[in-house]
Amino acid sequence: MLRNVFLKTLRDQRRSLAWWSAGLVLFAAMMVAFYPSVSGNPAIQDYVDNFPKELMALMGIQELTDFTSPAGYLQGELFSIMVPIVFIVFAVGLGAGSIAGEENEGTMEMLLSEPVTRERLVLEKFASLVAATAGLGLVLWLALMAAAPLAGMEISPLRLLEAGISAALLGLAFGAVAFAAGSVTGRRGVSVGVAAGAAAVTYLLNALAGIVDYLGPAKWLSPFFYYNGDPAVLNGLNILHTGVLLGLVLLLGAVSYAGFQRRDLRL
Amino acid sequence: MDAVVRLQGLTKYYGKHLGVRDLDLEVQRGAVFGYLGPNGAGKTTTIRLLLDFLRPTSGRAWVLGHDAQKESPEVRRRVGYIPGEPALYKNLTGQDFLAYAASLRGGVDWSSIRSLAQRLDCDLSRPIGTLSRGNRQKIAVVHAFMHNPEVLFLDEPTSGLDPLMQQEFNSIVREARAAGQTVFLSSHILSEVEELCDQVGIIRSGQLVKVESVAALKARALRSLDIEFGGPVPQGEFVGLKGVSDVTVTDSHLHCKVTGALDPLVKAAARYQVVNIVTHQPSLEEIFLAFYGKEEPKDVAA
Repeated sequence: MLRNVFLKTLRDQRRSLAWWSAGLVLFAAMMVAFYPSVSGNPAIQDYVDNFPKELMALMGIQELTDFTSPAGYLQGELFSIMVPIVFIVFAVGLGAGSIAGEENEGTMEMLLSEPVTRERLVLEKFASLVAATAGLGLVLWLALMAAAPLAGMEISPLRLLEAGISAALLGLAFGAVAFAAGSVTGRRGVSVGVAAGAAAVTYLLNALAGIVDYLGPAKWLSPFFYYNGDPAVLNGLNILHTGVLLGLVLLLGAVSYAGFQRRDLRL
Repeated sequence: MDAVVRLQGLTKYYGKHLGVRDLDLEVQRGAVFGYLGPNGAGKTTTIRLLLDFLRPTSGRAWVLGHDAQKESPEVRRRVGYIPGEPALYKNLTGQDFLAYAASLRGGVDWSSIRSLAQRLDCDLSRPIGTLSRGNRQKIAVVHAFMHNPEVLFLDEPTSGLDPLMQQEFNSIVREARAAGQTVFLSSHILSEVEELCDQVGIIRSGQLVKVESVAALKARALRSLDIEFGGPVPQGEFVGLKGVSDVTVTDSHLHCKVTGALDPLVKAAARYQVVNIVTHQPSLEEIFLAFYGKEEPKDVAA
């Protein structure tokens, strides 16, 4: 694991990944365990139908016509709010710790005294962020695959995989914001702040766009819309939405690449 | 091209704050070059410019004929570096850290790591975070020398090392010199530079004041000196001797400053009964005084 920057960075993340995985698996398993009490219960669907639309929107739920089906339940309980939070916090922590983290710790000076180009350093660090976030997505998928049959949930493994991918991609988008901010500024605190701020603002933007008419078009600016506007667990991956998020990640990767080339290291 | 390190008008401002200005310097292959200056003079800034951690405001630098900025990876492949404040991965053991560094260099002969670690009595099995400052410094020394680089940039390399290890470090540097490696060593301690270096560059407030041989520097340096006599001595006997200044005699005690050879003063003193002679290692400030007289150099920016 000490062969290159990519593997070394993953190695540094192994504990963090293990703890987040444990928490995520536990939470997902608990939620799935409650499903039998909801399944096919018309009273609960009535309750959900009568819920104020505005409140639903603020909770990140755009459409929920079938809360008692496996996919509808998972969307309402897991993928609307908790899963995005977990993936965003996880990826922002990694992204901020990547380039800016090595500078904050002072270890960048030793690392860049080796014959490694800055280009390669950014690429390998970014790749490790992608790999670790994808890893957490994989864990979520496997956990749901294992838990769903136990709770009598009939849902296709492909749908669950698509849901896992979309959650990882949303997390990665904000992780890449933190990564880019860190690559440009070299400050970890700033990176976390920028990414957390971006997440909060774009979340609200998307939620309010569903309530306030004149804010309607603002949803196009929010990564949350491309995650939640057409939920993957209900309808599969929306190619267009997925493409927008992927494009955002690539754009932020390019910003990181260019930003880190130009500046002095913060030592 | 035999200048291993070449600076041409190298200038670095941090915003309005001056780092270094108009550095022109050549260090020849095989030399041990002492880069001497007080803390904050710009020593670390210079080395960081050479390693492309910082980008110059103007001017250029070459290491081994490679442009320090455009061809930095090639420069870094052939250079060993000890940072002024080595920050190593706290959760790795020395062994793991060196293995990582070696991989990034495409492999390093482990026998050279083992022999360096043994000489410095360096514990590679413990996590670096649990080591003392001195023991971390030893790992940084091993890291700089392990790949047998053509050039070594050593930024105050003995800070944190105990006297015994400093001796061992000095002999490692001397062996490097004997093997034809070039050493660029920054320090704020004159005796360290005197002991190891052939040539000295003096930097102050970001500007290179003087580059000369260690011998010339010593000859120029003002030393302060105290002589205790067996009885009272006349001040007149000592005033006006060659190289002697600031003479004060109080009863049987003489205090003065001497530049260059001690001979005239010693000959004059020998006419009386000498109880004790104490010379003081000239401080950096005293060396600067030798260059500037009593005047402070003009600082461009603080």
